Amino acid sequence: MMSSNYDLIIIGGGPAGLTSAIYGGRAKIKTLVINKGSFGGLIYSTREIVNYPGHEKDSGPALMSTFKKHAENVGTELIKDEVVEVDFSRREKIITTKNGREFTAKAVILACGTQPRVLNIPGEKRLRGNGVAYCATCDAEFFEDEHVVVVGSGDQAIEEGMYITKFASKVTVIVLHDEGILDCNKISAEKAFSNEKMNFVWNSTIEEVLGEFNVDGVQIKNLKTGVSSQLACQGVFFFVGTVPSTGFLKDSGLQYNQNGYIPVNDLMETNIEGVYAAGDNRVKYLRQVVSAAGDGATAAVAAERYIEELNYFQKIILGSNIPVLLLFFKPLVAESLQFGTLLEEVASEIGERYKIIKVDMSTKKSIAEKYGIKEVPAVVLLNKGEVIKLLDCSIDKESLNLQL
Amino acid sequence: MQLKKLDAVSFEEVIYDNCEACLVVFSRKSCHVCQEIISIIEDLLEKYEGKLGFYYIDVEQNKDLYKRFSLRGVPQILFFYGGEYKGKLVGQVEEEDVEAKIVEIL
Repeated sequence: MMSSNYDLIIIGGGPAGLTSAIYGGRAKIKTLVINKGSFGGLIYSTREIVNYPGHEKDSGPALMSTFKKHAENVGTELIKDEVVEVDFSRREKIITTKNGREFTAKAVILACGTQPRVLNIPGEKRLRGNGVAYCATCDAEFFEDEHVVVVGSGDQAIEEGMYITKFASKVTVIVLHDEGILDCNKISAEKAFSNEKMNFVWNSTIEEVLGEFNVDGVQIKNLKTGVSSQLACQGVFFFVGTVPSTGFLKDSGLQYNQNGYIPVNDLMETNIEGVYAAGDNRVKYLRQVVSAAGDGATAAVAAERYIEELNYFQKIILGSNIPVLLLFFKPLVAESLQFGTLLEEVASEIGERYKIIKVDMSTKKSIAEKYGIKEVPAVVLLNKGEVIKLLDCSIDKESLNLQL
Repeated sequence: MQLKKLDAVSFEEVIYDNCEACLVVFSRKSCHVCQEIISIIEDLLEKYEGKLGFYYIDVEQNKDLYKRFSLRGVPQILFFYGGEYKGKLVGQVEEEDVEAKIVEIL
């Protein structure tokens, strides 16, 4: 088994992952992106992107190829493989892939994206690819001059439904809401209502996809009347939202919300130290290329600072031959600065017996967390990395002398 | 290693003239799932090289072919043996499924 060590491993090569890769590469940390399939993520199947700043109009694949090239040009390694297992229990994270490769990293960014939600109604899975579809760009063309049913009424459902009308003779949208109410944006709704090929079935849901070898209809239930009816069609496109592609993380100790999305803070930090989540797979308000890229940048910078702290810690603190006094301070807390001066004074009076390391708690958060330090000033006495004791930090020279 | 691209003419040659045992992925450049499937199949290529042909067809350029097989979406992996169609795998399949099908037809 081949084993390789990295500073940062990014799982997923969509807009979030590739942006993290660009930041990682530019920060000169050893960065690897692992992605299954083609780089670009879900946006790869998008025909038109018209809201990414600086690119008035571009296609998904074209925009993503510039992201990828950019990441490669700054020295990031990109590989095609699928992560099947992770071990986040130790400081050195272990990642195992389908091809049997094992990688370790100091920090990991999860940018795994999402996949279309499957309703799991009868016939849906069985007829997938035989009339049941999830991607209009991929499959609309197969329904030339036929009747297609679209399930859902969000932006994606309505916009993709409109695209399908380029091929199909008729598109019928099954909508949960009362007549005239769609979940999509207003511009798309107006366009859809004025498109002759677009038809709507209101207050309804789909119960079953019908057909032996190919789709030949759907069973629809009217939620108001409770009456079920059948509608003949040759294709059914499902656009009923997405689910995060985070299944392989289920035993990692990572926290999720009830829908499987990963909650993070402002720094994209998950509940596990050194593990970040960026892009569509995290809990968030807006899932777009631009917001994914923003997440990717934040996560990479947070990861880079975390790695820097780790390296600093390992080199200076664990490598010292004499006991270390780890002094936590904050530049804005006067008492912590004053105590620092006193500590240096006392330590120099008793000779070269201690090495003093100052830790600015406002930036080096993870070291403070490691020792459970919440307030400054605080001093931890360490010997070869082992905690000997915590000092009492009152500004009293005599007391400090006694403690040392 | 990569799959070899077929068009309408070479498809006839490989499948029906040479009766090659092979799989053919019907795919589209802009289809994300297709790209995932192709990379899965590329991983199998080395193992079965010499026993099975690995091909792909871009449906955008070969409308007649997907109509002939009444395909209703991509990706689809069609299997052939001795000039006969031996079934297909549809959509987002796993490597194990593809390998099981390969073993079955060989």
